[in-house]
Amino acid sequence: MLLLLIILLPLLGFAYLGLFGKGLREPLPGIIASTLTGISFLLVVAALFAGGGSWEIKDWLPGIPFSLVLDHLSGYMGLVVTGIGFLIHVYAIGYMHGDEGFSRFFAYLNFFIAMMMTLVLAGSYPVMFIGWEGVGLASFLLIGFWYTEKKNADSARKAFITNRIGDLGFLLGMALLYSSFGTLSISGLREALESSTVLPLSLGLAGFLLFVGAVGKSAQVPLMVWLPDAMAGPTPVSALIHAATMVTAGVYLIARSSFLYANLQDISYFIALIGITTAAYGALSALGQWDIKKIIAYSTISQLGYMFLAVGVGAYWIALFHVMTHAFYKALLFLASGSVIHALGGEQDVRKMGGLKKYLPRTHLHGLAGALSLAGFPLLAGFWSKDAIITATLNYPFGGTGLYVAGLTVAFLTAIYAMRWYVLVFLGEYKGDAHPHEAPSVMTIPNDVLALGAVFAGFLALPKPFWNLIEPFLAPALAHLEAHEMSLGMEWGLITLSAVVALTGLYLGYLAFTRWALPKWYLTFQTWSENAFYVDLVYNVLIVNPLKELSEIWALLDGLLDSGYLALAGLGGWLGEKLAWLQAGYVRVYGALMVLGLVIMLVWGVLR
Amino acid sequence: MSYYLLLSALLFAIGLYGVLARRTAILIFMSIELMLNSANLALVSFARSSGNLEGQVMALLVIALAAAEVAVGLGIIVAVFRSRESTSVDDLAEFRG
Amino acid sequence: MSAFDLLMGVLLIASALAAVTLKNAVHAGLALVANFLSLAVVYFALEAQFLGWIQIIVYAGAVMVLFLFVIMLLFDAKADVGLDRLPWMRPLAAALAAAFFLALAYAFSGVGPVNPLADVKLGGGLPKALGGLLYGNWLYTVLLVAALLFAATVAAVSLVQPQIRKARVKPQVLERDRELEEVGK
Repeated sequence: MLLLLIILLPLLGFAYLGLFGKGLREPLPGIIASTLTGISFLLVVAALFAGGGSWEIKDWLPGIPFSLVLDHLSGYMGLVVTGIGFLIHVYAIGYMHGDEGFSRFFAYLNFFIAMMMTLVLAGSYPVMFIGWEGVGLASFLLIGFWYTEKKNADSARKAFITNRIGDLGFLLGMALLYSSFGTLSISGLREALESSTVLPLSLGLAGFLLFVGAVGKSAQVPLMVWLPDAMAGPTPVSALIHAATMVTAGVYLIARSSFLYANLQDISYFIALIGITTAAYGALSALGQWDIKKIIAYSTISQLGYMFLAVGVGAYWIALFHVMTHAFYKALLFLASGSVIHALGGEQDVRKMGGLKKYLPRTHLHGLAGALSLAGFPLLAGFWSKDAIITATLNYPFGGTGLYVAGLTVAFLTAIYAMRWYVLVFLGEYKGDAHPHEAPSVMTIPNDVLALGAVFAGFLALPKPFWNLIEPFLAPALAHLEAHEMSLGMEWGLITLSAVVALTGLYLGYLAFTRWALPKWYLTFQTWSENAFYVDLVYNVLIVNPLKELSEIWALLDGLLDSGYLALAGLGGWLGEKLAWLQAGYVRVYGALMVLGLVIMLVWGVLR
Repeated sequence: MSYYLLLSALLFAIGLYGVLARRTAILIFMSIELMLNSANLALVSFARSSGNLEGQVMALLVIALAAAEVAVGLGIIVAVFRSRESTSVDDLAEFRG
Repeated sequence: MSAFDLLMGVLLIASALAAVTLKNAVHAGLALVANFLSLAVVYFALEAQFLGWIQIIVYAGAVMVLFLFVIMLLFDAKADVGLDRLPWMRPLAAALAAAFFLALAYAFSGVGPVNPLADVKLGGGLPKALGGLLYGNWLYTVLLVAALLFAATVAAVSLVQPQIRKARVKPQVLERDRELEEVGK
């Protein structure tokens, strides 16, 4: 009923705009799409107030129901998706102005929202997988939106294929769970796990496989290579899909399966390790990028690593808290970048920017808010959520001090590159030759809302002795892991430490990129960072090119097989040609056949 | 005696070749006559070897038959080919299919 | 096998080959005549004198003449020249003929010895000896063959009758004729 509408409305938008959008004039498709998303948002709110809901088709597949569930967790995620989604839809009305694929864009955006909500509201893993694949498809369609450029189509393909590798893990994990428990409904599995005393051996493997799926979708090491290339899509796409919502689907999956991971200490530790590695990789690579969107893209990889660090140590609600704050400030950063790009007529290289503070005052404020929140400037949203993660590495059962130190270091690096982004874009002298003009209000107003969120959203969950609204809200849907109680003094001491780290990083970044001449070792490091430490090259050499060679060989064999079959078919034709003489009506042929028969009979008779 | 039998077999084979390899109706017919005659030769040599005159009687009747057959056959050939341009047997392909 | 047999063999085979190979139909016909005449000689040698004469009179004298008449009638002298649509038939025919000959030769290899009293019993193949058989045991067969000859004659004549076409008269004329008849009555 209600839940179905949440998914069906944007899906309807997709169908309608897809079929009839070409005839509609701007900005009508954008308005339709945004309205439908907005209605979905309101429906989520209504459902939450009604205390949740569920909808099910029993035995859709044997033992697996098609169920949609809105509990606190999916409602929370749903608010983020539809809320931020709505703001980005509105922004896109301005950004995509004049593009000839205007209605197609909004059709795809609505399709994405529908599929993401399917993923979020899923009550059983196969339904989630439908949404999972659907958002992958939407991502492909949107990254390659301007498909006439080869680079865009290639990036879309790269994203899809890398995702697919992860999807295999997801499928295998599902299969394993099904064979162990006979059901794939999330509540059913939860009951089975929490009531049983003996856990099947395959559980660890299933958990690992599901995590592989998350690695693909959320761009963790080693499947993170698609995210920077995904910047080939329009900026609203980067903001919605590759910052706020789709890439967090992996985190959501692990959180949803928290009852599973709470029992798997080794797998969780492994998740945390991957998380911190990804965070470090993202931060280090962001320092060397020269494309305004690529800096933010690597930043996203880094922050996603933080989220996986959180689920790895067992702090599921903290990861989701970070999902929300990150959605706000990352979308803000992307949309601000989009305003900058729009203002400069398409320029994306930061070396041709600078001094935009005076040309784009509002966008400047947006960018500043986003950058500070990302860096973890005290009291902003990013500060509270990132600090919660770093502290959790000491609190929670699967954590450790090594993870704490690493987390803090990466936070320091985050502050540096965030400042670098801000400085290069907005401060100094303008180095380009376009005529920058401020964005229209259809683009700045959503950014204002996001900026408010980036600044204030952190106040929803403050450490003790202040209020924490999120943890109890999400608790019923998540597994409960005992957090080791920390004394108040210790806790606030650590908070102060991370505040100091963030501020130091920001100051250092400011100095480094405005005043100082950079030392040589840094410049070498910068080149390495610019190429993302040559990961793409390594993958190409080790994996992609050998596979291409192999496929060439297969194609050759296939061609041979084809000609073999053709020859076989040709045999029939040849035989037919020869046998046609029988039917041609030539008397002599009939005579010859008679004689042949005669000879055969004679020989047989004589030899008897 | 077996010499004449072999001879008759050879003549029959030659006639057979002629029936298949010739393209004109008339010449095919002539090859058929050759075959008939070789059969006659076989009959006569058998009659000679066994002392039985009935072989020759049969050969006589065969000759009479052959005469009748030639009459009718040539009549047919004339009837069929009078109105056509060529006498090639290959053109008589109305039994095609 | 005496020299005579050898000579007759060569003649028979040569003329037969000529008959099936020559391109000019008239030449082929003449070769066939030669073959028949040689065959008649062989009949004489094989104590079948009456048969030999009949061979000359009927075959060489009537049948072959008929053949040559038809060849002339159809202007068919250069008949076997021109495009051969089944060029592969020649070797095939040769192969089949060879196979046939070999099979027959193998079959004839087991034939028994000659009866030494044969010549006497045959009585030279003269009408006196043949007559007894023809009008004795074989009477009905002879009568049937006679009927067959008659039927063949009728058939041959009717085959070559020209078709009589009915005159096509205009319907108005027919109508007028009928009216005149009516009036005349």
